[in-house]
Amino acid sequence: MVTPNEIKLFIESMKKVSTYDFSDYSEKSFTRRIEKILSDYKLTLPGLITKIQKESDFREKIVNDITVNTTELFRDPGVWQSIKYRLLPKIIDKDEINIWHAGCSTGQEIYSMAILLNEYGILERTNIFATDLNTEVINAAKTGKYVYRFNIEYLENFKQVVRQNPYNFDEYNDVPFEKYMKIDTQNDSIEMLPFLRNNVYFKRHDLVHENNVFYRKFDIILCRNVMIYFNTKLQNRLFSLFNDSLVKKGHLVLGLHETILGSEALKYIKYGNFYIKKSI
Amino acid sequence: MGPYQHIVIGGSAGSFQSITQILAELPKNTGLSFSLVLHRLKHVRSGFVEALSLRSTLPVIEPEDKQYIRPNTVYLTPANYHLYIELGNYFSLSTEESVNHSRPSIDITFSSAAYSYKEKLVGILLSGANRDGAMGMKDIKEAGGFTIVQDPDECQVKTMTSAAIETTQIDKILKIEEIIRFISQMK
Repeated sequence: MVTPNEIKLFIESMKKVSTYDFSDYSEKSFTRRIEKILSDYKLTLPGLITKIQKESDFREKIVNDITVNTTELFRDPGVWQSIKYRLLPKIIDKDEINIWHAGCSTGQEIYSMAILLNEYGILERTNIFATDLNTEVINAAKTGKYVYRFNIEYLENFKQVVRQNPYNFDEYNDVPFEKYMKIDTQNDSIEMLPFLRNNVYFKRHDLVHENNVFYRKFDIILCRNVMIYFNTKLQNRLFSLFNDSLVKKGHLVLGLHETILGSEALKYIKYGNFYIKKSI
Repeated sequence: MGPYQHIVIGGSAGSFQSITQILAELPKNTGLSFSLVLHRLKHVRSGFVEALSLRSTLPVIEPEDKQYIRPNTVYLTPANYHLYIELGNYFSLSTEESVNHSRPSIDITFSSAAYSYKEKLVGILLSGANRDGAMGMKDIKEAGGFTIVQDPDECQVKTMTSAAIETTQIDKILKIEEIIRFISQMK
């Protein structure tokens, strides 16, 4: 068991040798990440600290290991159905649409969104900004290549979101998987078609201390199951940052069990699965 | 409020019936709060909280991340998340990799609750088909909490309860009826 004092020591050491500051991460899950790292690399905590002080490559690797990267195609289909039928129709007539995936992980939600945008014929008019702290997952997101056996069950989500309309059971759009992905069961891979990422700009970004670096405001910001790893102080900073970064009536999409608990909630109207920026 | 503040209940295969039975007889206004960590099928993501609410004497809710834990409330771990209990009496959610092939993992919630509540915690482990929960029960016991395991002879699947009994000196091995009586006598 790693003690709270050891965790503090690790965080302080990291701060001294880099720009990374994990002080406002959720305590319990952060501790668990460090315990996992110690066991994976067969290190003691003092050993880990010495290594991150001396070896910058190793330090970057550890930062990647700390982040959690669970994601799926159309994760939580109900949310994506709302995005398709309740959110996108509101912005469909804009000349230019801007979307930020904050904490994009391996990119499945970038492609989920791009597929829906393409179904509406607005993908070409959309700039998609995808950021994450973890450089390895950004590279994975750029290739759009996933292991088939780990993603096969999420094709069911595709059927639910892309083909069916929960608001109108008579409607059924027989969109073939091949329109958006190359499924190769022999090589155990699902490869998203490259045109989906024509307008995607990938960038490494640290939500702890960086702000909106894109010189624009967004119609939609997705930040799903990222802030659960942060304490309420850092969460509030981000709810404020996202509010400043949204256009009037812009939409913030959070994870299924994420809520704005503090006073930042006053700047948003909660609408189903979304938080909409109030126009003051 | 009595000596206990929180009760964590873990269950897997063969525990659903027992859980609904327990919820139907929970005493009201004891000031206790409850967390349920139940393994469920991956794609059964909704409807579970409603099913458990039907007969429960206390409100059953799926907690939001960082939500404060209130007395006289039952919290059901959301599907596909791990549930941590943080110092300061609130929850954190996580989508980290499965532990013991499970997300939610009983060990994660039990161990974090043990650390946060120490001797003010009761851990109850019910029927199940893997070894999840055994380490969590050990942590609860070591932190000074009280441990109860459903009698393996009564369990539909006894792997989970037997693993806990092998790992730790469990305080009480009880049948469901006795567990209900135990809880209803708590203040």
